[in-house]
Amino acid sequence: MESSKFAIDKDRRTFVKNVLKGTIAGSLLLVIPMGGASGSLEVPAQIPGIRGRKYDMFKQRFAFIVNITRCIGCGSCCVADKREYNVPDGYYRTWVERYIKDFDGNVYVDCPNGGLDGYQTPRADIPGKVRDTFFVPKLCNMCKKPSCVQVCPVGATFKTPDGFVLVDKERCVGCGYCIQACPYSVRFLNPVTHTADKCTWCYHRVRKGLLPACVNVCPANARKFGDLNDPESEVTRILASPDVITVLKPELGNMPALYYEGLRREVVYECGP
Amino acid sequence: MQSDYNTHIKRIVLLLVVAAVLGFLAKKFATPTSFGKYGHYRADAIQDEVDRPLRHMTNESCLSCHPFEWELHEQGRHKTISCEFCHGTYADHVQDGKFAGRLPVKKGEEIKTLCLRCHNKAIKARPKDVIKTVEMPRHLEDQHVQVTHICNQCHHVHAPLIYINHAQKVLGIEEANNGKQ
Ligand code: HEC
Ligand code: HEC
Ligand code: HEC
Ligand code: HEC
Repeated sequence: MESSKFAIDKDRRTFVKNVLKGTIAGSLLLVIPMGGASGSLEVPAQIPGIRGRKYDMFKQRFAFIVNITRCIGCGSCCVADKREYNVPDGYYRTWVERYIKDFDGNVYVDCPNGGLDGYQTPRADIPGKVRDTFFVPKLCNMCKKPSCVQVCPVGATFKTPDGFVLVDKERCVGCGYCIQACPYSVRFLNPVTHTADKCTWCYHRVRKGLLPACVNVCPANARKFGDLNDPESEVTRILASPDVITVLKPELGNMPALYYEGLRREVVYECGP
Repeated sequence: MQSDYNTHIKRIVLLLVVAAVLGFLAKKFATPTSFGKYGHYRADAIQDEVDRPLRHMTNESCLSCHPFEWELHEQGRHKTISCEFCHGTYADHVQDGKFAGRLPVKKGEEIKTLCLRCHNKAIKARPKDVIKTVEMPRHLEDQHVQVTHICNQCHHVHAPLIYINHAQKVLGIEEANNGKQ
């Protein structure tokens, strides 16, 4: 075949170029340190306006938007999240659910291993004719009125002035009230630290001007994160546009800062796998 | 007589004072200094979270050491995919700017599984305007090759259309993909 002949040709060149560029650059960098993760960051910022100036926690506002109509269910986000935080097996800070609707109005939801392995096979146990299938990524809703914070007896879970709901591992006693209180089931008791754990929208990355790990890896631009004070940011534009934006379980009054584009009725009032 | 009558009250008052002082001291020592600065929590916990080490970087972080793969990837259709999704995290590979550990490189069937994770047509939920999907083994039959072929025999993993565009050019076929790799 013509193309495979070319492939071999190309690979030989690839190899030579690799040796010339890759290895030489690689060995040079073994000698010259780049600052590394702890010191000054070498990688360009992904969120403009965070680095290089004083961070005023009381002025910052962020939003997270998930576009259901773009999610391909690859589970890159789930993998990135597990690796970023070394999440123990069987626990998920973010996950991707698969929804299947049939023509009789039945809705089937599954989420094998939280979507970590992606969706490799179609679901075989649906009796009726399938009308529609789609994926729904879930993560912390970062409520403006978080019920988890309200119930914490020791002040271990709290909302920061810039709107992130975080957990203080040092204070948490692992009572589990917050896990019960979360209407979105995003919290779990970490079996390693024995404290409550959940998605933080990668607060440590955001403060360094980087996107949350799941947003950074999303190949379909289904997950968007940005600065609401920046009139140019994609999230500001989307939230100011006439597009329909929904939150999960709005009737509870938790006021999530996590918005969904293209969300279906079945998902808004339902939650959890 | 008078003083005898007062003793127990004095004792109670003394006890209360001691309890209050002890309670006050206990609270003072048990409450972290930054507690209550912004609200009913330890304000320093925010800094603790900020100091969490980064494990993922960005695709840009690979550029300095892998300019060849980076460029190929950046020009290709796969530029929106994270290097670290397919290869593993920066932190497992580089420490303090120096090479620190090998990342696994997928081979053979593993590559097929990786590609089909995103491109499998059998999973109906994939929006067509976001990603093109293929049906297996039909895709290979269409190319008139054995169905044991692995995707990277025809598609470069970092720029999936680079070989195909080139082959089409060689064969004089019009560039169907507008030259994108
Ligand atoms: C400090 C320089 C440096 C940076 C930055 C770097 N690498 Fe590497 N990488 C190396 C070196 C050196 C090797 C060769 C290791 C060997 O062959 O023993 C290598 C090898 C690899 C390999 C091949 C491993 C193998 O066994 O053949 C992959 C895949 C890889 N790197 C991916 C990445 C990715 C993805 C990034 C960005 C997140 C990255 N590298 C960033 C220095 C670097
Ligand atoms: C779609 C998944 C995917 C992405 C994205 C990806 N790679 Fe790879 N990469 C692979 C696979 C699979 C291989 C091994 C098979 C091959 O080369 O055909 C590989 C091989 C490599 C190698 C080893 C090359 C060799 O010849 O040993 C390096 C280095 C590398 N990739 C770096 C990168 C860098 C840097 C990026 C980001 C700019 C990146 N890769 C993005 C899947 C990917
Ligand atoms: C993480 C998900 C993901 C993985 C894994 C992945 N791809 Fe892709 N691929 C995409 C996306 C998303 C696009 C479309 C990019 C665009 O059009 O902007 C794409 C585009 C393509 C295209 C171009 C299609 C076209 O005409 O637009 C080909 C061919 C392709 N991929 C083949 C592969 C092969 C082969 C592998 C395995 C090495 C692979 N992909 C792995 C997500 C993925
Ligand atoms: C024998 C070579 C060959 C192999 C092996 C192969 N492909 Fe392809 N693939 C092609 C060619 C050629 C095209 C372009 C077809 C066209 O433009 O009509 C293509 C197109 C594609 C496209 C774009 C489809 C579209 O609708 O435009 C995707 C996605 C893709 N391949 C994925 C894969 C995956 C995943 C594998 C591995 C399971 C794979 N291919 C294995 C040759 C191959």
